[in-house]
Amino acid sequence: MTAEQHSRLSEEEVLLAFSVEPTHDRKTLEQYLIEYPEHAKALVTCSIELMVDATRNDDAVVTSEDATDRAWQRFQTVVGQPDDVLVTNPFSTLNPTAFRSLAKKLDITNLLLIRLRDRAIVAATIPRRFVQRLATELGATAEAVMDYLQSPPAMVSGHSFRSTVKPAVTEQISFTKAIETSQLTPAQLDALKTLQD
Amino acid sequence: MLEPLKQKKKDGTSYERPPEIEAWLKKLETVEVAERLRQFATLSRKSIGYVPSEALVYFLRRAWADRMEGDFEKIFRILMKRIEQSLCSAISDSRMAGARGIREEIMNRFAERIAKDCKGRTGLLDFYEIRFDKAFAAFRTSTLRQIGPTVVDTVPLGSDEDDGLEISAEVEAAASDFLGGDPEKLDDPAFRLELTAAIDCLPDDQKQVIGLLLQGFQIDSKDKNIMTIARILQCDERTVRNRRDRACKALKAILQEENAQ
Repeated sequence: MTAEQHSRLSEEEVLLAFSVEPTHDRKTLEQYLIEYPEHAKALVTCSIELMVDATRNDDAVVTSEDATDRAWQRFQTVVGQPDDVLVTNPFSTLNPTAFRSLAKKLDITNLLLIRLRDRAIVAATIPRRFVQRLATELGATAEAVMDYLQSPPAMVSGHSFRSTVKPAVTEQISFTKAIETSQLTPAQLDALKTLQD
Repeated sequence: MLEPLKQKKKDGTSYERPPEIEAWLKKLETVEVAERLRQFATLSRKSIGYVPSEALVYFLRRAWADRMEGDFEKIFRILMKRIEQSLCSAISDSRMAGARGIREEIMNRFAERIAKDCKGRTGLLDFYEIRFDKAFAAFRTSTLRQIGPTVVDTVPLGSDEDDGLEISAEVEAAASDFLGGDPEKLDDPAFRLELTAAIDCLPDDQKQVIGLLLQGFQIDSKDKNIMTIARILQCDERTVRNRRDRACKALKAILQEENAQ
């Protein structure tokens, strides 16, 4: 995977991956700096924090109930929030031309991109590498795009259509089924299959 | 049967917990829930029977999946207390203005991460089941970069404004004495520990230079393929040397003061 494809991994994701590496020596840091140059400063700070952290002593500290109570309240607020409140639709700024252009850049059909936009595909079945590519093209973080894809399927606002039947939310299908039924060419299909986790 | 981690590495393989954490989890699975919660409540790392936080994260997630709300809240609160403890040490009131508010915001943001994980959103808590302290240090670093006081960064990257000044002969001599006086000292684990702790007192720009030097990076090189401190920090090598010299002078003073006590 190239540095460009990684470029939309969030800083937090990169630092977490770095933090659980078996060692944090010069070689490991160098690898990450080469792979994620956009997070260089954060990586350097993190590497030093990891080094210094081991010398800190947190045993003699008295904690307060207040801070824990507030954290619990925050947890309850967020866990109880409807998913739409937390996520933003990364497709919302795309006009029809930009939407078609995005499909072209990703080398997929408009139909597959519509299914992604409308969250008609089970998010867990979408290859992570594809999500990263999509995020890169959308100018968003992979985490933000995954948040959107994982939220419940809904009718996306901004669409207007006439219908004789009441519009309903489409049932979600797997990524494999979606690519097999989205009028992709055999080459496009093969390329997407190689991205499977 | 332990729940496997879902996060994948770059090569497509799944992350795994270290064997010692897996051993803890297997052991704790055989213990009654009430007893397990009692063991989790030990806050001091030095206490016998202190359960690693990686295990708390595992059982926290499991309590949520099993809809054991009472257990979930108890583990959540214990975990948060441990987090507050570590934050009080890393972001102490004496080190940073508004430290208390910053610590609370980091705790709240971590609570949000837990909530997102409960909703099956990110799976990022997997990292905390592998090496909790390290992962939390990474989370703290990232959050501090967003909400921490900007004054910690004394010089923006790429700006040589205050580094452009010629460094005094006195500072240069102190630095040279500090680094060159007894090179073998750096191999002494006790001194290295003392030095690492002292680095924590430096301003961020100096901390970066000394931290990278200790990790084995060189200040500058004519070979463009070598990753040097000057290239990493995107500044002139003279700036790096100035920061190093200032840091050495400060470190020498800190260590002398500590040894005098």
